[in-house]
Amino acid sequence: MAAIIETSGLTRSYGDICALKPLDLCVPEGEWLTVMGHSGSGKSTLLNLLGGLDRPSGGSIHVRGTDLATLSEDGLARFRRDCVGIIFQQHHLIPYLTALENVMMSQYFHSVPDEAEARHALERVGLGHRLKNRPGELSGGEQQRVCIARAIINSPRLLLGDEPTGNLDHKSTTMVMELLRELRDEERFSIVMVTHNQEVAAWGDRTIHMDDGCLVREERTKSC
Amino acid sequence: MLTALKVIPQLLCWAVLVPVMCRSLTGMSTAVAAAAGFVAGVAGENLLLAYVGGELPFRPLRGICGVIFLLLWGASVWALYRSGSTSPESGQPTPSPLASGAAALGTGVLAGALTLCRLAPLEGGAVRLVPYLTLACAGAAVALGAAYAARFLPQRLVPRGIPLVALVVSALMLMACSVQRLDLFSPLSMEVMKFVHDFVHQFFESMLIPDHPFFRADVWGYIGLLFGDKVGLWGGLALWYLPVLLIALSLRLERLPSVAHIRQGAARRKLLASFIHERRLRLAAPLLALVFLTGAAYQSRFPATEYWDPKPVEVSANPAGQIAIPKKGEIDLEDGKLHKFSYRQGSREARFFVMLTPAGQLVTTLDACAICQPEGYGQAGNAVICYYCRTLIPLETVGKPGGCNPVPVPCSVKGDAVVIDGMTLVNTWESTVQVTAHGKGMGK
Repeated sequence: MAAIIETSGLTRSYGDICALKPLDLCVPEGEWLTVMGHSGSGKSTLLNLLGGLDRPSGGSIHVRGTDLATLSEDGLARFRRDCVGIIFQQHHLIPYLTALENVMMSQYFHSVPDEAEARHALERVGLGHRLKNRPGELSGGEQQRVCIARAIINSPRLLLGDEPTGNLDHKSTTMVMELLRELRDEERFSIVMVTHNQEVAAWGDRTIHMDDGCLVREERTKSC
Repeated sequence: MLTALKVIPQLLCWAVLVPVMCRSLTGMSTAVAAAAGFVAGVAGENLLLAYVGGELPFRPLRGICGVIFLLLWGASVWALYRSGSTSPESGQPTPSPLASGAAALGTGVLAGALTLCRLAPLEGGAVRLVPYLTLACAGAAVALGAAYAARFLPQRLVPRGIPLVALVVSALMLMACSVQRLDLFSPLSMEVMKFVHDFVHQFFESMLIPDHPFFRADVWGYIGLLFGDKVGLWGGLALWYLPVLLIALSLRLERLPSVAHIRQGAARRKLLASFIHERRLRLAAPLLALVFLTGAAYQSRFPATEYWDPKPVEVSANPAGQIAIPKKGEIDLEDGKLHKFSYRQGSREARFFVMLTPAGQLVTTLDACAICQPEGYGQAGNAVICYYCRTLIPLETVGKPGGCNPVPVPCSVKGDAVVIDGMTLVNTWESTVQVTAHGKGMGK
């Protein structure tokens, strides 16, 4: 299967601190990769580099054949707009917009807003009855589902999750994970998800463990 | 040096037009045709100035400018009519090389002729050899250089079809309006003002507007606005800008192509967004055309020409009521320039000027015409200009009544002085001004 992500000698330093040591990683199309490790092990740094939110200090990083290290700022913005969907732990929803408007905002920056399509995306994540509610009026799990709808609305080929269930209870976590699996199976996009939680990591196809900026272990996981 | 500065706006317009035409039409051959046309236009117009003289070399040019402006109006209405049935993906057909060459040649001829007119001496005759040859070479060089610059013009900004026509016509209008005798905006404003006045007058005559004291205050308050001196300007500006605005509107209303066949929502939206973006970019040409038209209107309203406009010298009448102005006193009345005077009789005052016509006759006229508000005249070479409507009056016709000519006042030459009857002068002034100055504060 073709690789959606290929890194070679990828490093990232902040001054004297080396957050990510030379990393070689390959993620095939359609794979769900989870990244585990302690705080400060370089998980989020890796995710930021894969999402084009940060630039590497060394090495190469190819996503769908595009070398992100060589892209201009505009090129990176286009890459984030067209190729990647990101789900954050803190949701980062716009508080004064409704759930529907939050999803449409993502469409607006991608191309043009389409209310019917945004409504359909929210219905797919089970929020058809919460379209007009603002983030403050939604539970944590519901907010995270709005984030998922927002992340998938532009049909990205790569979905990145930075602790997407970090502040959710067990029931909401299961619901979000089931939803991600269902969407992945339908849309055939790849997922790279950072988590501390072993149970959550078990939803992926493969898990890599990081420590002090290095990939220390890799394992195939068994589906839940 | 100053002569060269005069044609900078024209050459800049030309430098914008050629690359756009090159990219929109058929490339380098368009530039060559445009350059050849420019040189031919410059040469042809200079020949006309040299061998025909007078107003005749300007009339056909002014006529052509009027016609192309009317064509722009037609094209804009057509574009608006078609806007609902065309879409960006249908595109514009590429013109044949012959048609492109002919269009570039025609534009070049017109641009060359208009630019040369900017250099035409006010006293008549051809442009001198050095500026004439320099202009022809500069125009050709700008055209050929601009063809090279055209490569760097983004394809998505290149106008085609009617927006291209709007850009070309507006640039030519800017070139024309810099030349007093080719200006179209002032006559247009004047016609609008006359039409509004005639229209309201006709309503009044037909008794459609009740002439009752009860209505007078309110109704006439509003009708008075139509007689204001800005009616012509605003109406003229509306007619001036409207075709380009209609073209911009037609682009904005262009139907988007169907994307229903694309299954994936994001891909569908992406395609729609790219069409919308391109449609937005194509508004650049009408916007640039609006800038050109604004420049043209500004040139027309505030021409760079400096007029001979002396301050009126106060004169008085002898006990018999005759005003006698010596021909060769402090002022030389026979130097070919207009000389302004003012005469006061009690509380009544009149302004007039005396000048020697090319036929060698000393004439006396009011500093006002029978049509416009009495803003007076200035002299530019072999013509005087009405400051109100910007109409140029050839010196040959000064002293003759009619149109926007200064109203003649009977005078006689007795010995070394021009003699005018004070009472006749004041009466003629008052009867003229009463008709033309509608309301308070009109005139100087």
